[in-house]
Amino acid sequence: MMDIKRVISTIEKNYIKNNLKKEERIDGRGLWDYRDFNIKTNTIASAEGSSEVTLGDTKIITGIKYEIGEPFPDLPNKGVCTIMAELLPLASPLFERGPPDEESIELARVVDRGIRHADCIQAEKLCIKEEKCVYILFVDMYVINHGGNMIDCGSVSALSALISSHIPEGKWMENGPEWTGEYITGKDIIKDLPLAITFGKIDNILFLDPSLPEELVSEGRITMSVTEDEITSIQKSGAATYTLDEIKMLGEKSFEIAEKLRKELNFWQYSTNKK
Amino acid sequence: MTLLIQDEYPKKLLRDDGKRLDGRGKTDLRPIKMEVDVIKNADGSAYIEWGNNKIYASVYGPREVHPHHLAKPDRGILRVFYRMATFSVFERKRPAPGRREKEISMVISECLEPVLFLELYPGTSFEIFIEVVDADGGTRCASTTVAALALADAGIPMRSLVTSCAVGKIEGQLITDLSGIEDKAGESDMPCAISWFNDEISLLQFDGKMNRAELDESLNMVRNAMEKIYEMQLDTLKQKYIQIQEQNEG
Amino acid sequence: MENNEEPEQDDEFEDEETSREIVAPGEVLTEDVHNFIPGRGAILNKKGDKIISVIIGLKQIKKNYINVIPLRGFYTPQIGDKVIGIITDKNPVKYKCDINAKYEGILKIKNTVKHNKMRIRGNQREEETLEKLYVGDAIIGKIIAADRLNSPEITLVGKYLGRKSGGIIIQIDPPKVPRIIGRNGSMIKMLKNLTNCNIFVAQNGRIWIKGINIEHERLLIEAIYKIEEEAHTTGLTDRMEEFIKNETKRRGME
Repeated sequence: MMDIKRVISTIEKNYIKNNLKKEERIDGRGLWDYRDFNIKTNTIASAEGSSEVTLGDTKIITGIKYEIGEPFPDLPNKGVCTIMAELLPLASPLFERGPPDEESIELARVVDRGIRHADCIQAEKLCIKEEKCVYILFVDMYVINHGGNMIDCGSVSALSALISSHIPEGKWMENGPEWTGEYITGKDIIKDLPLAITFGKIDNILFLDPSLPEELVSEGRITMSVTEDEITSIQKSGAATYTLDEIKMLGEKSFEIAEKLRKELNFWQYSTNKK
Repeated sequence: MTLLIQDEYPKKLLRDDGKRLDGRGKTDLRPIKMEVDVIKNADGSAYIEWGNNKIYASVYGPREVHPHHLAKPDRGILRVFYRMATFSVFERKRPAPGRREKEISMVISECLEPVLFLELYPGTSFEIFIEVVDADGGTRCASTTVAALALADAGIPMRSLVTSCAVGKIEGQLITDLSGIEDKAGESDMPCAISWFNDEISLLQFDGKMNRAELDESLNMVRNAMEKIYEMQLDTLKQKYIQIQEQNEG
Repeated sequence: MENNEEPEQDDEFEDEETSREIVAPGEVLTEDVHNFIPGRGAILNKKGDKIISVIIGLKQIKKNYINVIPLRGFYTPQIGDKVIGIITDKNPVKYKCDINAKYEGILKIKNTVKHNKMRIRGNQREEETLEKLYVGDAIIGKIIAADRLNSPEITLVGKYLGRKSGGIIIQIDPPKVPRIIGRNGSMIKMLKNLTNCNIFVAQNGRIWIKGINIEHERLLIEAIYKIEEEAHTTGLTDRMEEFIKNETKRRGME
């Protein structure tokens, strides 16, 4: 397609819309098909877990780092996990330099909520000494190329990075926490596998996984994060509106699509056995 | 910031057999892999793996300058933004750019400017974004090397490529291409870059102590290293096209 | 209106004088500075005893000029170029237009004049109207002013110029445009005939396409990207013809 510009041509808009009406997408996909996912983990030697995920042309590298600190007073035996995202200017002429803007904050928060409300990260396993010492996990997502639908790519990236993690195991001794010589791995801290599933809407037609041209032409999108049997987050963005039936339909579809994706991607193969 | 494992500062950087901790001889380079055209949205891009360093570079330009007051009426401007990911280092780095990143950005920019024809593109900017996603010593050298590739990949006219490498000293011995440990625990570090157009040094910094003989020797060693790396850059740029020729012209 | 008229540039990729040798910036093209002069994409080295390339491209010797045909590059507007642009801004005096160049193009209102032939009471008359354009509209324009310092100026006055609707626009690397057109238009003629699509290739690397259905358009788009990638190889026109014929069969598109 044409290079990304701030003004999308009417021709491109009409082309995408007219073909969508015939259930044709510019890259030949069906309305409910994902582009290809490609996952590599433990690519970053300096990180305690990492992944490099591409979804079509979108590429996100996620790294896991840890720190030891005091827990929140109201959650004395739980570790903390924070998720951040950066839309690097190197990834697109649409991204500007500077502190995270609304789009990167939304990406981080949507992926975060999907994970947080699932029984995904077992925060009690991230506790070294109740009330005194817990792990703080940093999940930092960097967008390296923007090809549309950074949310779904980010969610897979964050999840596979977490599963690949190998964090030094700490034990509480007299003088404070000490390394046991072993590692806590993704298998220890991850249980559920929530996935973000994003749909675009153009002219009342709903479709899965908008590519960049589709995203730029869409009136809006809606993301549902789901585990095997629960919805853990919903985010509607953009000006498009949805009927109740549409939302119910998308809810159903999200479970189907997520289940298929989990089978295809087989996340547990990315867990590390570090000694 | 507390961690359970502390960063390594080994007491000895040379083994009993005289080799370095990673098994290298004094003038051996770490394994280097390069690739171009890796970020489709950019005008030009490149990626390098140099030892454990992993660095992306993308180039946008020539394009209009934002903010407008930075534009120069008689020539284009070059801006380099060197950044490190939070997870690229042992202890998580704050996301916002620090002083070191700003200094390195400037040094790389001054190093690459001489090979560009900025006077041909008045009022425009060329921007190079460098992102270090994994760091292990010598990131500014690897970044300069990969940035030069990204510029060439964009089809921006250049008087020549630029190649960069460092030479340093550990336990009194001069060595080529310091790894992270050698950089941290060693005695000196001299990153260097050469512009092949006029065979002159366009980046030079030094930290530590050395005498005049060591300066001479270091410059010779680094030049040899940069020649080897230059061949790799040329090969990377051309391989993309040569492969397609071979596949199709049988 | 859909075809290009005679190609204005030779397809240098198919030129006999273009070698198969790929050169990179700074590489030596020749040390014979007495018999050769640096041409496009080449300069003298610092000492003046060698001719070197300044870009990645194919080495070409034409008479006593050594040129480098670029394999990658950005578009630099030249007077007379036909460009496909997108209107990005409008004010009472002029439109601004994205033409894939370092500056946006300027389209003055007076240069959007359309001459409409009309029959009124049996007499043929010509009426002048201004083509009304909106932000997002695609246009085919011609460059009427271009220099290093200022924004290029375009006009819609002329044959085959004006607002475009329908179809789709894609973008390729500007240096590859001659390859899509081919020597004497051979490549573009073949593409048109075999894919049943209308095509307009502009100098700024943008290509407008309209086919009988999306499958034909998709095949043509794939073919164009393939030509872009293999532009520097020999036998390309024949190979592309085979590719399109095979794919047409394989996709059941006959």
